[in-house]
Amino acid sequence: MFPPAYPSLKEQMMKLVVNGEEIESSGSSLPDLLVQMGASPKRVAVMVNGTVISAAERQAVTLRAGDRIEILTFAAGG
Amino acid sequence: MKPLVLGDLEFQSRLLLGTGKFSSSAVMLEAVKASGAQIVTVALRRFNRERPSDDLLGPLMTLKNITLMPNTSGARDAAEAVKAARLARELCGSRLIKVEIHPNPHHLLPDPIETYEAAKILAADGFIVMPYMPPDPVLAKRLEEAGCASVMPLGSTIGSGNGIAAGGLLDIIINNSNVPVIVDAGLRAPSEAAAAMEAGCAAVLVNSAIAAAGNPSAMAQAFAAAVQAGSAAYEAGLMARSTTAAATSPLTLFLG
Amino acid sequence: MDNPSQYWSLAQAINTAASRADNRQIFSAMGAQRPGPRELALMLQPQARAHLEQMAARAKSLTARHFGNTVSLYAPLYLSNYCSSGCVYCGYASDRKQPRRKLPFDAVARELDALKREGFEEILLLTGERTPQADFEYVQACVRMASELFPQVQVEAFPMTVDEYRKLNLAGCVGVTLYQETYHPVVYDMMHRWGPKKDFAGRVSAPAHVLEAGMRTVGMGVLLGLSDPVVDSIALYLHAEELRKKYWRSGIAISFPRIRPQEGGFQPAHPVEDRLLAQIVFAFRIVMPDVPLVLSTREKPSFRDGMAGVGISRMSAASRTTVGGYAGAPAEDRGQFEVSDRRSVMEICDMLQAKKIEPVFKNWDAVYTG
Repeated sequence: MFPPAYPSLKEQMMKLVVNGEEIESSGSSLPDLLVQMGASPKRVAVMVNGTVISAAERQAVTLRAGDRIEILTFAAGG
Repeated sequence: MKPLVLGDLEFQSRLLLGTGKFSSSAVMLEAVKASGAQIVTVALRRFNRERPSDDLLGPLMTLKNITLMPNTSGARDAAEAVKAARLARELCGSRLIKVEIHPNPHHLLPDPIETYEAAKILAADGFIVMPYMPPDPVLAKRLEEAGCASVMPLGSTIGSGNGIAAGGLLDIIINNSNVPVIVDAGLRAPSEAAAAMEAGCAAVLVNSAIAAAGNPSAMAQAFAAAVQAGSAAYEAGLMARSTTAAATSPLTLFLG
Repeated sequence: MDNPSQYWSLAQAINTAASRADNRQIFSAMGAQRPGPRELALMLQPQARAHLEQMAARAKSLTARHFGNTVSLYAPLYLSNYCSSGCVYCGYASDRKQPRRKLPFDAVARELDALKREGFEEILLLTGERTPQADFEYVQACVRMASELFPQVQVEAFPMTVDEYRKLNLAGCVGVTLYQETYHPVVYDMMHRWGPKKDFAGRVSAPAHVLEAGMRTVGMGVLLGLSDPVVDSIALYLHAEELRKKYWRSGIAISFPRIRPQEGGFQPAHPVEDRLLAQIVFAFRIVMPDVPLVLSTREKPSFRDGMAGVGISRMSAASRTTVGGYAGAPAEDRGQFEVSDRRSVMEICDMLQAKKIEPVFKNWDAVYTG
């Protein structure tokens, strides 16, 4: 067995609920999470624990374990 | 033709298009172009990295002269609809919002009480509120007083293609409204859109009838022509229906 | 509208456009699906006079559809003939030599009793413009007294503030009648020589204040004869439509007062003959099918009989336009205008029933508002 390359990172991993699914995330900032999820920042709207977060506010939000995040996009609809 | 005025926005086209139920977003884009519509509706959905084609914002932004009107579908009450509206505004910057609250997934009929509550909050928050509503003349006035920029009574249930089922009620709504009346949902044929415009509607919102047509772009064009014809007919003033009421005895003899 | 003189200018433009109409356009207006100002103007043109019989037939069928074969009856009760304004055409103008009186409360009670005994359930309390003798508190007190006896009390007095109308409503008044007289700002100014009634803008905004205060109905009208009656009628319609759409919980009634000979010898500049008055009433019925249209005893019996149910759905009856006229006013008093139809309530009822029209004295009780 190899020792973990970056033992300190494991401590930073936390569980989040994104779009109803539990995921492990390494970053604690919203922009990092969007990158991790593969979302283009300008094409999505974000809600954290039921609060709408504007694009300008994203940087200032610190995510905590257990946070519920919704990432939304426009789809077809009438 | 006079412009369609919604809040502080003006539009030349009186045909609004929904983007649902098309076979692909390419077909949808072609139909939007063919329709000449300047307002198209979109819905909010959870982002899914496996299905990047879900995202319509990119493709729609390639079209010129288009204003997005996000809807709040999926919201089951006023609080959810308000949240959806604020998310949508974040995403596209458009203040136009179609308030659409239909808790029942089968008939998709709007909840008038939650719709009214959401409309009040959103109008106060600076949105240009466009409520999808049952064809109820009293509710229409209440929504107007709540600050809505328009009222959008359904012709018949969403996707049903049953046309304008309650024409008498629609007529009362138009006759009493100070805001544009837009028929939303239920239309099947361009002739129905023309009839709505002839009756004095300010615009119509069409989705299924175009998306589910044999040739969506061609149908979009047909609807655009019908809306234009109906609107021109309304402006021109329709000929009267015959009102021959044969009086048994003259009513004006007393005037000498 | 933003500016009170806009009703007149817009009405004038609509009338000018309609004046070029041919027969076919006029006929089309009569049967329009949703007639508006344009159709009203078309039906009021001189060319439309040829279709008066068809207009009457349509007016009659619409009146029957919305009101049944009924005409509701009410009585006016003059509380005071003190006045602070100088309206050229009015018998109660403040420069007229005329005994002035205000009914003391015991006399109000006697008048109310007399009307109740005649069978009335709806009354209209009238005063002149605001004076220290007949001020708001006096009108309010009379409304309170009247509402003890009558299920429907209405007031025709001076323009009030929204707050005053609210208080009047609480006192038991369900409706206010307030005629614009004319929408022509210049003629209005000439006709109303002094006093509070000179305020044209204040007059125009008063009906909105009535409805803002939550009154059930507002009665509107122009005094036909002061200005071009066709343009004034169109302006009145524009105003009424605006109020109907804004204050959608309330109702509107339209009256058709036409200038009658007065003491002081005022002659109207635009006399309105019977056929034109009938034409105006029929046209209003066609464009406002569900609105009560009112005809007073200013009009002579033959005209009232002919119009009852053919557009007209509400009438005053057995009116005295003198202060204290029902329970004994001095014979030398002159009324505000000359009553032409002096028939008793019984005679009016007989006339209506002979035409197979039911006279209605009471429409509803305000059960939930007390």
